[in-house]
Amino acid sequence: MSKLFYDHLITLDNLEREISKITETPEEKEEIWQIIDEMVHHRVLGCILDRLPKEHHHQFLSLFYECPYDEKILQFIEELVEDDIEDLIKKETKVFSQEILQEIFRKG
Amino acid sequence: MSARKKTKRKLTAETVRQKLKLKHLEARRRLSQIHPHVEKFFKSKGIDPGKVRQHSARILGAGAIAGTLLLNPPTNIKSLLPPHELFEKFKAQKKISERGQNEGLIVQILKSLLPERPRPLTYQEEKFLEQVFQNIIGVKSKASLEGEHLNTTYGYIGAEQHLRRFPGDSLYEHGKEILEEGMAPGLGAWGYFAFLKEDLTRDLIDIEKWYAVVQTLYLPDWNIRTRYLRDWYKYRKVLIVDTLNGKVVVAAVADSGPAAWTGKHFGGSPEVMDYLGGPTYKKGLVVLFFVDDPENKISLGPIEYNENIVPKLNN
Repeated sequence: MSKLFYDHLITLDNLEREISKITETPEEKEEIWQIIDEMVHHRVLGCILDRLPKEHHHQFLSLFYECPYDEKILQFIEELVEDDIEDLIKKETKVFSQEILQEIFRKG
Repeated sequence: MSARKKTKRKLTAETVRQKLKLKHLEARRRLSQIHPHVEKFFKSKGIDPGKVRQHSARILGAGAIAGTLLLNPPTNIKSLLPPHELFEKFKAQKKISERGQNEGLIVQILKSLLPERPRPLTYQEEKFLEQVFQNIIGVKSKASLEGEHLNTTYGYIGAEQHLRRFPGDSLYEHGKEILEEGMAPGLGAWGYFAFLKEDLTRDLIDIEKWYAVVQTLYLPDWNIRTRYLRDWYKYRKVLIVDTLNGKVVVAAVADSGPAAWTGKHFGGSPEVMDYLGGPTYKKGLVVLFFVDDPENKISLGPIEYNENIVPKLNN
């Protein structure tokens, strides 16, 4: 695994701190990191596709497949959506972080 | 006691994993219900949409960044003067300006070369930096050593906690300095440094004191060559150069991380971070290369170099 084009917008340090407190072995920690990573990915993709006009979805997915690390994908999206996509991704992941923390500490 | 504290005590990694797994399925289902073409698209390409990070690492690992970007090559690649020309240029500027700035030569060179926001460096950029580091800092270091290369060599380093060195180790046994970061609740990626306190050698004490964290878990072939890579990276010496103040430290890899979604790429022990930026330094922008030290002659810890000594230049 390595870089995705939106990585610099995601800073869930608080979540990482909480997970470090819960896990005892590196394997446990890494497995949970991986689950969260995939969830972040689904959320970010959803956030972008919800706003990107449908006719551009295929092009976006192709760009993402070809160069998943390339931050210029954000420029491509910005030209096609009205909202500030970087800001939206940041907000979306903040909400996500709160949801996950709630879920972790939810009883039952 | 707050509800969170009460709950936290009962939490185990397994219960958290199960809870998150359910949320994960839910997130995946939501995406495929609203945008069914996403799953179809990735399936047609033979990859799981959730595993796109591995796919990215494979592309980057194959050196695609140098020439096959679909959109454009990185626009923030700066033209590289040969190291000796760059060195002379900055030396001359320094004499002429007579400024009171304490910026070192290395900081100026890094500023002229590196983009503001970290990204994986190109082969040429890394080769250039290897020369700069060897000539100015005096330590031979490599971005690729024995065929191994990290996913990125330029990124953010974050503060880590002390690691438990042996069963029963406590924070106060780590010495008087730098205790406020505390002790990591779990073990490092390579477990205890020694199984008994009596087996803790001076070398192991130094490794924990000057340890670095790198994202071995995200290496594209980590799951294929796990055993080899685990051994190769264990206590591997790395050169960490802070790009904003030019401070340099040699550290040993002793844990894996940080998570990709923290915005950080490396971690440093409390001592590493304290040396690089002082007690309030929690995150910094660094270049991290492997130290090429087959005879194990380079000690862990800070590297003091004198920028006023004219380095030997190879070209």
